[in-house]
Amino acid sequence: MAELIRQSLLFPMIQSVHIIGLTILVGTICLVDLRLLGVGMRRQDVGNLVSSLAPWTSGGLLTVLVTGPLLFGSDLPRYLNNPAFVLKMLLLATALAGHFTFHRIALCGTKVTPARQKVAAVFSLILWSSVVLAGRAIADFDIRPV
Amino acid sequence: MSIAGLCEQIQNAWLSRAISESTWGYPIVGAVHVLAIALFGGAVLIPNLPDEARWIRRLGMTFIVLTGTLLFASGAVRYYESTSFRIKLVLLGLIVLNAIGSSNRRTKVRRTISLTLWAAVIFAARGIAFF
Repeated sequence: MAELIRQSLLFPMIQSVHIIGLTILVGTICLVDLRLLGVGMRRQDVGNLVSSLAPWTSGGLLTVLVTGPLLFGSDLPRYLNNPAFVLKMLLLATALAGHFTFHRIALCGTKVTPARQKVAAVFSLILWSSVVLAGRAIADFDIRPV
Repeated sequence: MSIAGLCEQIQNAWLSRAISESTWGYPIVGAVHVLAIALFGGAVLIPNLPDEARWIRRLGMTFIVLTGTLLFASGAVRYYESTSFRIKLVLLGLIVLNAIGSSNRRTKVRRTISLTLWAAVIFAARGIAFF
């Protein structure tokens, strides 16, 4: 399986699906965060925005969590020796942990002040952007001859 | 002058060389390109986007075009020769055609076409590294 993915066009195809998933995941999260910060969409109710985007966010997350390990599994040493990949995993763990704790509380919790929501939004934006930046940088630290 | 010749000139312009010859130029521009795609993608997915959110889409698109142009310029000859890049350009052209026209007719169909084309663009973009 790993051999097949590594040596065929299956690899870029899975990568493409991974990028589509990440676009949907990070894009929808960023939109909610921008709304929390009061950047645009102020007439849009936060609850409505979150509930209309939630299925997309979950779908995106599911997509990257299926395709990511497939790419990683196709060549373990290639990724484990890549500093950008290791950094991405650390950032991803932090971003996910934050997403299901402080971010969720900021959106759904009771008696959450707008200031608290804004702090959560800023952290979320920084973390998810960093995950994307580190992910893109994997290609720049790739030791494999192309 | 041929297109290939033009691409060579673009590639040798100072800004293109500044990107291709520096260590961080290409990675940074590339990273901003992907981030802008994520922002744009998110803003495209909300049906009946409120008017106020339209600027987020515009901002995303502006950054996509800007960084995309820079990435192209940094290696114009290689991109010009890539089949996958040419396919990507055609797909982007189709997206523009799909977006033009009266905005209230067949919204749902056009939305589906648009999302399908965008997915295809990402496949083509990823393919540039391979053919």
